[in-house]
Amino acid sequence: MATAVIMPKAGISVESCLIGTWKKKVGDTVRIGDVLFSYETDKANFECESTAEGELLEIFFEDGDEVPCLVNVCAVGTKGEDVSALRPAGASAPAAPAPEAEKTAPAPQTAAAAIQETAAAAGGISPRARKLAEHAGVDAAQAGGTGPGGRIIERDVRRLMEEGPARKAAPSEEVSAPAAQTAAPAAAAPAAMAAPEYEDIKFSGIRRAISTSMSASLQNAAQLSHTFSFDAGPLLAYRKVLKASEGETAGITVGDLILYAVAHSLLECPDLNAHMLDATTIRRFSHVHLGVAVDTPRGLMVPTIFNADQKSLLEISRELKALAAECRSGAINPDKLTGATFTVSNLGSFGVESFTPVINPPQTGILGVCTTQNRPRLNKDGTIGLYPAMTLSLTYDHRAIDGAPASRYMQKLCRSLENFTVLLAR
Amino acid sequence: MPKSLFVDPVSTLAPGKVELGSIPVNTYSRSVAEERAALGDDNLIRIYRDITILREFESMLHLIKTQKNYNGVDVTYPGPAHLSVGQEAACVGQAYLLTKDDFNFGSHCSHSEILAKSLSCIQKLSDKELLEDMENFLGGRTLRAVEKLSAPEKLGAPKDVKELAIRFILYGALSELFARETGFHKGMGGSMHAFFLPFGVYPNNAIVGGSAGIATGAALFKKVNHQSGIVICNIGDGSLGRGPVWEAMNFASMDQYHTLWEEKGGMPILFNIFNNSYGMGGQTRGETMAYDFCARMGAGVNPESMYAERINGFDPLAVIDAMRRKLEILRKGEGPVLLDTITYRFSGHSTSDQNAYRTQEEIDAWKAIDPIVTYRRALTEAGVAGDSAFEVILAETAERMTKICAHAADTEISPYADFKKDPFFIERTMFSDERVEAFGSGEPEMLVPREECKTLQRLAGKERAPMKDGKPVSKMKLFNLRDALSEVIIDRFYEDPTLISYGEDVRDWGGAYAVMRDMNQAVPYHRLFNAPISEAAIVATAVGYAMCGGRALIELMYADFIGCAGDEIFNQMSKWQAMSAGILKMPVVLRVSVGSKYGAQHSQDWTALCAHIPGLKVCFPATPYEAKGLLESALMGTDPVVFFESQRIYDVGEQFHDGGVPAGRYEIPIGTVTKARPGKDITILTVGACLYRALKAADTLKERFGLEAEILNLSSLVPLDYKEICESVRKTGRAVLVSDACARGSFLNDVAANITELCFDDLDAPPVVVGARNWITPPYEFDAAFFPQEGWILDAIHEKILPLPGYVPENGMTETEQLRRARLGV
Repeated sequence: MATAVIMPKAGISVESCLIGTWKKKVGDTVRIGDVLFSYETDKANFECESTAEGELLEIFFEDGDEVPCLVNVCAVGTKGEDVSALRPAGASAPAAPAPEAEKTAPAPQTAAAAIQETAAAAGGISPRARKLAEHAGVDAAQAGGTGPGGRIIERDVRRLMEEGPARKAAPSEEVSAPAAQTAAPAAAAPAAMAAPEYEDIKFSGIRRAISTSMSASLQNAAQLSHTFSFDAGPLLAYRKVLKASEGETAGITVGDLILYAVAHSLLECPDLNAHMLDATTIRRFSHVHLGVAVDTPRGLMVPTIFNADQKSLLEISRELKALAAECRSGAINPDKLTGATFTVSNLGSFGVESFTPVINPPQTGILGVCTTQNRPRLNKDGTIGLYPAMTLSLTYDHRAIDGAPASRYMQKLCRSLENFTVLLAR
Repeated sequence: MPKSLFVDPVSTLAPGKVELGSIPVNTYSRSVAEERAALGDDNLIRIYRDITILREFESMLHLIKTQKNYNGVDVTYPGPAHLSVGQEAACVGQAYLLTKDDFNFGSHCSHSEILAKSLSCIQKLSDKELLEDMENFLGGRTLRAVEKLSAPEKLGAPKDVKELAIRFILYGALSELFARETGFHKGMGGSMHAFFLPFGVYPNNAIVGGSAGIATGAALFKKVNHQSGIVICNIGDGSLGRGPVWEAMNFASMDQYHTLWEEKGGMPILFNIFNNSYGMGGQTRGETMAYDFCARMGAGVNPESMYAERINGFDPLAVIDAMRRKLEILRKGEGPVLLDTITYRFSGHSTSDQNAYRTQEEIDAWKAIDPIVTYRRALTEAGVAGDSAFEVILAETAERMTKICAHAADTEISPYADFKKDPFFIERTMFSDERVEAFGSGEPEMLVPREECKTLQRLAGKERAPMKDGKPVSKMKLFNLRDALSEVIIDRFYEDPTLISYGEDVRDWGGAYAVMRDMNQAVPYHRLFNAPISEAAIVATAVGYAMCGGRALIELMYADFIGCAGDEIFNQMSKWQAMSAGILKMPVVLRVSVGSKYGAQHSQDWTALCAHIPGLKVCFPATPYEAKGLLESALMGTDPVVFFESQRIYDVGEQFHDGGVPAGRYEIPIGTVTKARPGKDITILTVGACLYRALKAADTLKERFGLEAEILNLSSLVPLDYKEICESVRKTGRAVLVSDACARGSFLNDVAANITELCFDDLDAPPVVVGARNWITPPYEFDAAFFPQEGWILDAIHEKILPLPGYVPENGMTETEQLRRARLGV
């Protein structure tokens, strides 16, 4: 009997994945452990190994398709076997029998068929879940729906109340219309076929997640940015000392120093180490889980250094290096990409002088680290001198915190950075 | 199939021929002169008066319907006017000898029958009796309105109580037609359902032939309860095409009344066919029937040909003569009797009748012998009275009718019910909701005392709980659902002298499922007997029996046979309490079993059909405790109850009620929900045998998914108290509803809709109904593909309510499948 291979669940919060590329084609012989296809979540890339042996009989989803976790992706078995019972609803139908089969064949029934087929239609929230969320003062929209068709049901809100919000799952809307548009001009003007005037690119999972998250952030939060600068001279001097040291400490960067300073000062401003649950509720965290923006070939990724306030400078540095490497390879566990309470984004190496970082909701703040420039300064003796000024841009959610306390925190952070060794001594 | 009757192959197979006796046709030939001595001139003249009163009533309605005006009274009447102009003499002749102890039932065009019988009783009753009857009727409301007719500008004071009673009967009937609160049934019965019990006038009926079975039931009541009087069943020649009429005639003629019943003798009923040659416009003789003479039908029923006879209904004296002879037969216990009373309808079937089916020549030929002319002429010629006397009668009749018409049309004197002031006006009469332990006061007739009753002895030996001393009780010893039913039934037989029970094979066989086992040794024949395979007659006779004041427990072997008694259950049993404005009670309990293993026509749960019909209570117990308590309630009540039983679970013991089934009497109010298992995560509502599959599903939910299901069994469908259902669903937020009825149109869809409306804000998912497939019931081997199973319940929960981690559904509960099935109607 034919066996289905399912889309693995690549993390607790992952509901669906995009198929990257099929490595096998229908008719190929596969063994257990053979890589069948690559897939990605909104945060990472994976490879799916076959869990069955035999001939690859039918592929239910194509490259680029979004597939709910645990839904059958393909069937493996003996040539000629009927795989219709394994085919999930909403999957690409096999080429051959179309209209008659539709009339008479009962709908295929598989593990997550119902979830798949209703996903587009429902995705709402049950009255009970809504009522509970209102009563508990949590934002039900932050709860991932696990009911039929992705409906947010009571248990999702209860989980939200107990565990806090999960990173938003990948958006499920398919961007299919542009594909049709590409075809139209090509047909109308065959001569232009050699050099199309534009190209429509379907977003990758990561891109989609960024797209949704960023626009939601700007639409929903009251964001504004304050820019400060500080004398980075002592910091750079300390960095020199480190670099000259032996072993791991030599690899500690200026960025690591800033992360350390943030991690060890942020609890003094609890409203910045927090989540906005809804328009009326903020959740303050007792530890700092620091999100760090990492540039990868697939796009921006933000791994989390959990409990950064309790970690040493070297531990922070070491952990960030490891996380960044996992992000760049695409092998990072999706659970490490969630749970941050505050984010630091460093564009200093690009020479960015000042910017307005965008908050990663439901966090209430994000710190942008800019480049260092020499600035003139009136010395005590009345002469003009130069000093290395490093710029920091804090974007905060005005719903959560006012300008004065935000600024007070920034002042404090700047003083800490200017007196870094004192901070270290604490 | 009593053992006392030997089916002898020798005599059964012996050669010979069936001799059918001759049937007399129009043999009456006496003259008025000869009748004067027997009847007296006053009575002969009064017969004429009664004919004119009936004729005037029908003529008035004709004018109102066609001209909205009668003798200067403007009145609009939108309701039915099935007139029988021309048939008055037959009605007066029939009623002439009858008393209030004789009951007459009628058809859809029975105004004349009702009035004639009433006029006859008025003549026979004393002033005191008449005043009492009128005063006691509807608390005197109708009489108060009638008294206002005594004003000088109206009719003036009546010359005597009889005149007052005539006004009363005409006004009560007409204001009933006009839908007024002063009518015989507060206006809720109308033209086709009017009656007046104090004069023995029982309901007429809008269903053609509908009275046949009901009147038979009334005769059954008289026979079983040793009551005096006979029953007249007035039906038309058109009704002879209806199966239930045939069923009724056969039921009324069964051999067992003469061969098996303790008190031998036939049924005191006269089936009178008012034969006007047309069923609406279909001509019976020559077109739609084949009997030639409808009296011939009697020859098909019994060796006496039901003493059938054709008589001339245009001659009231011929009818009186026939009635005198037939009443004698009936009083001797040799009924039933069949009369083919020839008459003719001058008017159309209704006012829209264009007489497309008959010629003016034919109508004129009959009009030429119109009894209102010919009978009067005969009286004049015989010297009974002069023309002037008859003119006075005509004038009086017209004057009386005109003033009564104006009176009944006047909304001040004859108001409509005010539904705004009294929104519960009809609601109050849908069910009588009374508790009556015994309808009669006499000693219930039984063959042996309780101590010697085999059924009671057997039940006493049973273990009433499933466990004893920590060990499960063997199936044979366990008091099961069947026993619970038996225990109530035999107990009620010993308590209610009017209780009778019948159905197919209920006596010697003990009922097809042994619920009545051994009761034939304790209950006499006339209280427990085998009915013919005539579902329509079984139900209709029970309706008639109950109308007269008895309690009937009847059985249809399979719920699927409800279709064979469709009119009787849906139109008669359900509606008479409210159509009579609460005057009639309907203590009928109809047991039906839901089969299994017997395929498409023997395995259906038709609760939805019954629950849909207003006026029926519907029960479907699933545990012995429920069965006993509900049947006790049903048999103590005064309302019609359809009592469903599942053949799958007759053998189950009591698993839910602490201590098992109590030995003593107890009642579970109809409408109560049983909490079979408490839980907090999901509510499973069950009907019938599905309870036990839901229990399995609940076990799986608990063991595999850690979910605690609360199971509520709906042992009543109508009425239904939603309190506990709502409490449960508000708690769990989730509901799945399961029954063996086909899903489309299942009663549970109604429950699901109500839950959605009542508990919307607490719902975590829509309530989901799990029913049988919308197919024929396949053979038993495919039971699991057709009826809801444990897996279907889990699938429904997983797919539509609460996805269960790691659960693999396999029963096609997806939305796509739901839509596909609906699109194809399967």
